[in-house]
Amino acid sequence: MAYDNNWVIWVFLFMKGSLIWSIQRYSSLFILAYFVYFVFYLLNATDSYHEWSLFISSFEMRAATSLTALLIILHAYIGLWTVGTDYLTKRTLGFLNKGLSNQANLIRGIYYFIFIFSGLLYLGVILYIIWTI
Amino acid sequence: MSGNQLEVSMYRYNPEQDKFPYMKKYKIDKPARDIMVLDLLHLLKEEDESISYRRSCREGVCGSDGMNINGKNGLACITPISSVLKKDKIELRPLPGLPVIRDLVVDMTEFYAQYEKIKPFLQNNTTAPEQERLQSPEDRDKLDGLYECILCACCSTSCPSFWWNPDKFVGPAALLQAYRFIADSRDLETVERLDELSDPFSVYRCHGIMNCVSVCPKGLNPNKAIGEIKSMLLKSKKNIITSDGTN
Repeated sequence: MAYDNNWVIWVFLFMKGSLIWSIQRYSSLFILAYFVYFVFYLLNATDSYHEWSLFISSFEMRAATSLTALLIILHAYIGLWTVGTDYLTKRTLGFLNKGLSNQANLIRGIYYFIFIFSGLLYLGVILYIIWTI
Repeated sequence: MSGNQLEVSMYRYNPEQDKFPYMKKYKIDKPARDIMVLDLLHLLKEEDESISYRRSCREGVCGSDGMNINGKNGLACITPISSVLKKDKIELRPLPGLPVIRDLVVDMTEFYAQYEKIKPFLQNNTTAPEQERLQSPEDRDKLDGLYECILCACCSTSCPSFWWNPDKFVGPAALLQAYRFIADSRDLETVERLDELSDPFSVYRCHGIMNCVSVCPKGLNPNKAIGEIKSMLLKSKKNIITSDGTN
C-alpha cells in the first residue's frame, strides 16, 4: 500500500486502525466524564475558597486533570492527523493547484509540526500548573 | 424557457478538444409521460451525438450508468425525471472523485482496484464436496443485503473519504463485498480477511456519514456492513470463530 512519506504518520502506520479508533472513542468518554464530574462539583460547591483549593489540589484531582489533558492531546492529534491525511495530500491539494500538490509532503509536515509543537506546549504548561502551583 | 421545455445542463469534456470541462445547456421538449434519465440522455444524443455516457441493461442490473443527477448519485436508467426535476431543470455530471475520460464516462480503475483488494471470491481450501458446499437457511440469510451489490460505484463516489484517499480507503462498495465474504459460512479466511483490513485507512476512514446508504440504487446499507467489520476488528482474534466452528 503506497502511503505518502512523512515521518509523523509513521507511528500510525504501525498501529492498528482499531487501536486508533479505540483511543479516540475511549478518550472522549473519559474527557466527558471528567467535565461532567467537574460541573457537578461546581454546581454543588460552596463559596469557600479553602474547599475549592482542597478539591482541586487533591492528588486524585491532579492526576485526573493531567490524564484529561493528555487524552485531549491524543484525541486532537488523531483528529488532526486524519484531517492532514485527507486534505493535505498530493491528490487533494492537486484539486486546488498543481504547485501546491508538488509540495504536499512539506505542507503536511509543517502542519504536523505546528499542531504537535502547540500540543506539547499546551501539555507542558498544563502539567506545570497542575503539579507546581 | 417555455413551460413545455426542460433545461438539461450537462458536464461536457472531450480531452482531445477541450482544455477544461464545461457545462452545456440543452433544451428539450417535455416528454408526454414520465421517462427515465437514461431515456432523456437518448433523446439528447439524437440531437447531439457527441454526448458520451455508459449504459447497457437499462433496467438497474448492470450498474453502467451511474452518474450524478441534480447533485445526487444514482442510476440513470431507474431514476424517473419526475423524481429529480427542480423547476424543470436537471443537471447531469459524472460520478464525483474519479478521473473523467469523457463527458459522463469516468475511469473506474481505482474503484476496481479496491474491489480486487478484498479478494471477492470464496476461499475454502478444504476438500470440495461432490455437489456443493451447503449452508443452513440461517447462514444463507446473513448474505441478504450484501450479495445484491451491482458495483455501480454510486456509493463509493459519494463518499468524501473515498474521494480523498481512493488508494488507501477501500470504500463502501468494496467493504460491503468484503463483509459479504466475511459473513459467508463457507468462507474460511475470516481472520486473514480482517487482518487485511486492520490498518488505519482501509476501514477506519469511514466516519459513518452514510452518503453511501442515501444513494445506493439497490437500497443496500454499506454503512451497516462497515460497522460489522469494525466490531469484528475490535474483538480479539481469539474470539473470532471461523465458519468451520474453530478459533
